[in-house]
Amino acid sequence: MKKWMIETVSSTALALALVGGLGTAALHAGEVKSIAILTPEQGTDMGWNQQGVDAAKAADKATGVEVVVAENLGYGDVRPTLRELGEDGASLLIAHASGYNTAAPEIGAELKIPVAIVDSPDKLAAGKVADYTASGHQGAYLAGRLAAKVSRTKVVGIVVSGEPPSWNNMSVAFAEGVKAENPAVEVRYAVIGPAAYSDAAGGKRVTETVIASGADVIFGQGNGSSFGMLQAVETTKATDGGKAYFIDVIGDKTSIDKGFLLSSVVWDLTPVYTAMIEDLKADKFGTRNYDIKLSDNSLSLLKTKNVPDDVWAQIEAIKADIIAGKIVVEPKYDAESVHKLVKAVQ
Amino acid sequence: MALFTQSFVITLFLGAIAAGIPLLLAGLGEQLSEKAGVMNIGLEGMMLFGAYTGFLAAWASGSPSLGFIAGAGGGVVVASLMALLCVRLGLNQIVTGIALTLAAEGLTALLHFVQFSRTYPRLDGVAPLPIWPLSEIPFVGPVLFNNNAVFYLAIVLVVVFSWIYRQTHLGAALLAAGDKPAALDAAGVDVMRTRAMAVLITGALAGLGGAYMSIAVAGVFVPFMSHGNGFIAIVLAMLARGRPLWVLGGALLFGGSLSLTTALQVAGIDVPTDVIQMLPFAMVMVVLLVAGRKAALPQALGESFVRGAR
Repeated sequence: MKKWMIETVSSTALALALVGGLGTAALHAGEVKSIAILTPEQGTDMGWNQQGVDAAKAADKATGVEVVVAENLGYGDVRPTLRELGEDGASLLIAHASGYNTAAPEIGAELKIPVAIVDSPDKLAAGKVADYTASGHQGAYLAGRLAAKVSRTKVVGIVVSGEPPSWNNMSVAFAEGVKAENPAVEVRYAVIGPAAYSDAAGGKRVTETVIASGADVIFGQGNGSSFGMLQAVETTKATDGGKAYFIDVIGDKTSIDKGFLLSSVVWDLTPVYTAMIEDLKADKFGTRNYDIKLSDNSLSLLKTKNVPDDVWAQIEAIKADIIAGKIVVEPKYDAESVHKLVKAVQ
Repeated sequence: MALFTQSFVITLFLGAIAAGIPLLLAGLGEQLSEKAGVMNIGLEGMMLFGAYTGFLAAWASGSPSLGFIAGAGGGVVVASLMALLCVRLGLNQIVTGIALTLAAEGLTALLHFVQFSRTYPRLDGVAPLPIWPLSEIPFVGPVLFNNNAVFYLAIVLVVVFSWIYRQTHLGAALLAAGDKPAALDAAGVDVMRTRAMAVLITGALAGLGGAYMSIAVAGVFVPFMSHGNGFIAIVLAMLARGRPLWVLGGALLFGGSLSLTTALQVAGIDVPTDVIQMLPFAMVMVVLLVAGRKAALPQALGESFVRGAR
């Protein structure tokens, strides 16, 4: 009797282990039916959140994988949402906010579901965690060249709503672009606040101050707060009495522009998410970082009617040089690099 | 280019006021609520809902004044739920306040998504009301005497609340509602009505503060834009030890610190940004150490009043 019980329990345990193991193996080896993306704000912010949602949907079309969007989750604890999406069958959880970098790997490990996080290149874990610290530095460098070309006051500003690695990277590249174009142009830098991503009032207040310091071109990086920056540019004259201009990042605000949007460093994360899904199917997830670049148009500088044609032609030539490798823009993700360079430029 | 020009310095001071006025309005409201015995943790939600309703009205009517009124009204709507749930039904004030804030965040984000998420309309700003000839004084004039109506109202409210607390029966009733509600009840004054009135006025002030953010400062509404100002206002109210003038001082200190951090950054001061960004919060901590030691909160703060209960 005792022997029979041991054999039965052992067989059952072995069977369960095999089923579980095979199930997990199947999950990692190709059965990717659906993925989920979590965003802190609505996917209609013409910036970070919208790019994440739009790109995930585009990747859905490209790969035939269903995408579940959980947006407007705020900047608090998203563990319940992650757990719910995971238990609903998502094969991949894309945590589209640096504030989710702790919770997502934790829940991923708990549910044995791969997760993708941002701004953490050193947290790669095969089959478990992938990072997509998208580097818009090549585009930001072009934006810096453009800003220095059009600035009348010879002072430009950088306003950011936080210092996450991907934004530091673009701030550095922007300042380098300014310096490369005209070393005499001053760069002024201000952070609205710690994680002030939705602080539109702060965005306007700080941008007004930077404009009052002499800047007539503002390179702004923020989610909801970027609308405050745009509003400041629209309602505040530069110190020479002329217009101030705004260079946005990630999204395209042309549809709501009142004539003050100079350009934008536009991201397209579709290739990133598509590659993630393909890697998941090929059991290579978590073995590499994902990036965006000028050469495949996943990164581009927006042409608006406020950029003179001759200046744009020069920018296009510089872009060609970057793609050809004649100009090399190195990514630098730390805030210290930003501060050093801004001081050097001044 | 020279950095510390007159226009730059004036912009810094105006920035301090822009950051400080919402805190002042909400802080005065919280102080009133706490005096009456209601810990109003829902202040953040009232500010956010006021920011939304204020912006909506100002945008739809083209009138900032209507927007400010609607903002105050929006705050009252959320506050009326607080009054119903906490004052009338006696539910836990902390839990209710947090729930109302979360609900306001979700609702305003949803409404914004439906109405504005494709167009992001912006307002033209609020015309200043110059007080001549004071508005002509260098530096001080453009900052203090060429401001908008809500700024002047907020300053006047500091005086009005100080007078109410010190000189009127209403002030005494508010204090009693927070300290000895049973005694107030025995004196024939309706404790629940007193507390409910305080909560509703708090809602109006917080909503006006939120509307100030969306109409007069940002000129745009985005989800979550109150950005923790309601919670900072609660801290300021608690530090102020029941004195409206201290709320004013705290709000301007915090706003001024924010402007100072921007100035330090723009000037390229060689200090890590994180250290500079700590300045406003460090200021509050210093004030807490200096002033908070003697802070005395109402004895019945946070406790629901049940007539006849011991």
